[in-house]
Amino acid sequence: MSKELEKAGLPVALVSAMFPVAMQMRANRIVKGVSIPHPCGDPSLPKELDARLRREIVRTALKALESEVKGPTVFSAGIP
Amino acid sequence: MTTIVHVVNQFFAGLGGEDKASVPVGAIEGSVGAARGLQLQLGADAKITCTIYYGDNYFHEHKEDAMKTVLDTVRSAQPDVLVAGPAFNSGRYGLSCVEVGNAVADKLGIPCVTAMHEENPGVGAYRDFANARVYCLLTAETTAGMTDALKRLAAFVIRLAHNETVGPARREGYIPRGIRRLEKANRPGVERAIEMLLKKIKNEPFESELPMEVWDDMRPAPPLAQVKHSRIALVTTSGVVPWGNPDRFKTYRNNHWRKYSIAEIKELEPGKWETVHGGYNVVYMNQNPHYGVPLDALRALEAEGAIGPGKLYPAYYVIPGNQGSPAVMQRVGQEIAADLKKDGVEGVLFVAT
Repeated sequence: MSKELEKAGLPVALVSAMFPVAMQMRANRIVKGVSIPHPCGDPSLPKELDARLRREIVRTALKALESEVKGPTVFSAGIP
Repeated sequence: MTTIVHVVNQFFAGLGGEDKASVPVGAIEGSVGAARGLQLQLGADAKITCTIYYGDNYFHEHKEDAMKTVLDTVRSAQPDVLVAGPAFNSGRYGLSCVEVGNAVADKLGIPCVTAMHEENPGVGAYRDFANARVYCLLTAETTAGMTDALKRLAAFVIRLAHNETVGPARREGYIPRGIRRLEKANRPGVERAIEMLLKKIKNEPFESELPMEVWDDMRPAPPLAQVKHSRIALVTTSGVVPWGNPDRFKTYRNNHWRKYSIAEIKELEPGKWETVHGGYNVVYMNQNPHYGVPLDALRALEAEGAIGPGKLYPAYYVIPGNQGSPAVMQRVGQEIAADLKKDGVEGVLFVAT
């Protein structure tokens, strides 16, 4: 799916916990998600930290959209 | 005696080149053109009883008629095996070889083998059909590889005709179709896995028992000059939908997508949304839908100015991704892309589970 969006000229930041699979599928801008059932955040963290982590993941995704890449590239959110 | 029907294009039938590309389907008893070379390799073990030919353009421009004539001819010849090609890097020819093979295998139950270069567009069609009765061997790019290709085709044909079990692609030398079969191993999985792991650690070559599908490289879309001045949309395969699942998504193999409004919504309240997905434990996402649709974070970044005012698309797109077939996901991707482009979206945040 994300490849079809890219084909249409839309840069895609793919947030996925299965980033090795995303690499294998040749997605280009990959953002490390936390885990499969909760890519954007971590329910084991206190609520506020969880929200901050999510914000950093989304911020990283926005940064990925601004980044020139040549092929599959993994971006990781800085841990808050 | 094994009997074979060989399918060739106008060029390999010896009729002529591009000037004869509109020749309709015809059949000649015995072997002509490239089929003669194949007969030579087959020797006395098998006989090509009929050579079918068609012009490269004719086949694709009159596909229904062409296919019907080919099927009728093969049906009356009743061969043990159908051979099409080798097509090398000739695109129209390679595609027709695969399409004929697929139709003959499906409609007449006759096993088929073709051969072509790995970059022939026929290979993509072959992978898409993934027909258990159709095999495609690799060839060189040009007819310089003719003798080698015919030799291997002949050997493969004899095996198919004798109903020999054909093993996995990498062992047998045909192009993988993405079909997985159960196989009995003589050692337990844990031993085999540990052996592979040790080889991996030592940087030695090892062979996975579950090879992943191969995907083509995709040239990256150019980056956004400035995200904060760009229109951004969120797409997800997590399966977060409004409570009650109004569009009746299934937990697996969905064929449709929807977009749900997030205009004027600051955050997704638990209990107003639910997660439909059969591939992972949805408890966390039901408790906090932001794990799949991080609207709270997007709103916070909007407040910070990292996302421009009004630049977040007022709806998110969703299809639960579980067991989605690549063909359906491709179509869904195209439809969503068209919808996004129509509304001037420039970049996509895609949350995959």
